[in-house]
Amino acid sequence: MNARLQELEKRSIAIIREAKAQFKNLAVLWSTGKDSTVVLWLCKKAFFGKIPFPVVHIDTGYKFPEMYRFRDEIAREWGLDLIIARNEEALKSGMSPEKGRLECCTQLKTEALKRLLKERKFDALILAIRRDEHGIRAKERYFSPRDEDFRWNYKDQPAELWDIYVKPSEDFSHMRVHPLLHWTEIDVWEYVKQENLPVNPLYFARNGKRYRSLGCMPCTVPIPSTASTIDEIIQEIKTSKIPERAGRAQDKEKAYMMQKLRSLGYM
Amino acid sequence: MIILALDALDIHCVQKFDCKNLMQKEYGQTSLKGFSQERTVVLWASFLTGRNMEKEIPIKTQWEFKLQPEQTFLKFFPDYRVIDLPAFSYKQRNHEEERRLLKGYFEDEVTVEEYESLVWRNHEENKRDFFRELGKTSLLIGYFNLADAIGHLSFGLTEKMAVVYEELDKIAGEVRASEEFILIISDHGMKAVGRYGDHSSNGFYSLNRELGLNLPEITSFYNTIRSIAKSEY
Repeated sequence: MNARLQELEKRSIAIIREAKAQFKNLAVLWSTGKDSTVVLWLCKKAFFGKIPFPVVHIDTGYKFPEMYRFRDEIAREWGLDLIIARNEEALKSGMSPEKGRLECCTQLKTEALKRLLKERKFDALILAIRRDEHGIRAKERYFSPRDEDFRWNYKDQPAELWDIYVKPSEDFSHMRVHPLLHWTEIDVWEYVKQENLPVNPLYFARNGKRYRSLGCMPCTVPIPSTASTIDEIIQEIKTSKIPERAGRAQDKEKAYMMQKLRSLGYM
Repeated sequence: MIILALDALDIHCVQKFDCKNLMQKEYGQTSLKGFSQERTVVLWASFLTGRNMEKEIPIKTQWEFKLQPEQTFLKFFPDYRVIDLPAFSYKQRNHEEERRLLKGYFEDEVTVEEYESLVWRNHEENKRDFFRELGKTSLLIGYFNLADAIGHLSFGLTEKMAVVYEELDKIAGEVRASEEFILIISDHGMKAVGRYGDHSSNGFYSLNRELGLNLPEITSFYNTIRSIAKSEY
């Protein structure tokens, strides 16, 4: 095993085990993307082949058909305790990206998760975010407390010295646990290759395009690419100057700004 | 007296870009205490009248809102010229066009470059008007919205904002030679949202005389200006 990947894996598994030891009602979020699939695999490894807590998939109803297929196949093969969270009320009322992307994300992702947390009383969630994805994520900690409105105060986070992850004593709604925080996009792909993990076929180039990051169908844009194998993807990322989530993140920021300017009366 | 009303001029940017002309003898952050939102028209109207105008200016019709001179500190001056200030002499047509293109950008119909070229054009027009009037009246107010208009789409792009601040600093530099009392003030500051910019409470003021103000509220300048007008005119 590649020594770097071994070190990354060791640390991530320690974090996952620590989370299981510290929290009574833990769950792991799984979007079916490459990062969260790696996290599921690490959870499996941490507990010797069987993930001992539920796996939550937030279903917005707008994911790619390939994502649903991949989800169902892996859930069956890996014997996952899969919970599918949907905000049915919002979907029935016709919520879609056309009503505003920010509002759509809030209703179909955040609200669906809020309801699930309330219903199942999860006190910690494992998420597959990485520091290199976006500037704001670089400020994250491995154990990151959230209040009941999912607010994150990055200026007031517990210190994580000497790899000791402490639950804050103050009131918090739930803890976000980020075992992949120290990985890079290339690490993820190298690990996928090394462990021979299944990944969504949308990541591989077809007709000169591939998806570098997966989200909802109307809001995710493919990138021009000819990378049709993992090795080619790794090579492509090494030479690319475009951020991984460029299309997706900018869409959200653009949607946020449009809404803010509206509220200020500009439009 | 000369007032440079610089929309969205942010204290942190003034310092970051080392705008020496904007940082006069005394400068600092303003307080927007009591305002629930950093709304441009509300804040400039409040600056002019010395009281919080938030409740009196509905969002829907805010851009058409217009104060009479008697409601403002302008009444303390024998003569004045106010260029393009929201809530008083706002150039409706120019800014409506800016907002139309801004909306177009969010609807993927207009490019950033198209929008910015209009903003710069309007800015140049205001600059011409302002320097034409300089020294002709006892009070001259020049409003420049460059930092706000460019900042909304590009505040996260440091190099672009550096050019904007350099331009505003140049204007302040040209005014600086004047013996008159100079107030440089913004309605609010700005914070980055990715590449974009959202209003923030980091407003800015700067004076060419030391008054020892400490986090002054935007409404408190009314009395300061009245005192200056009474002592000088």
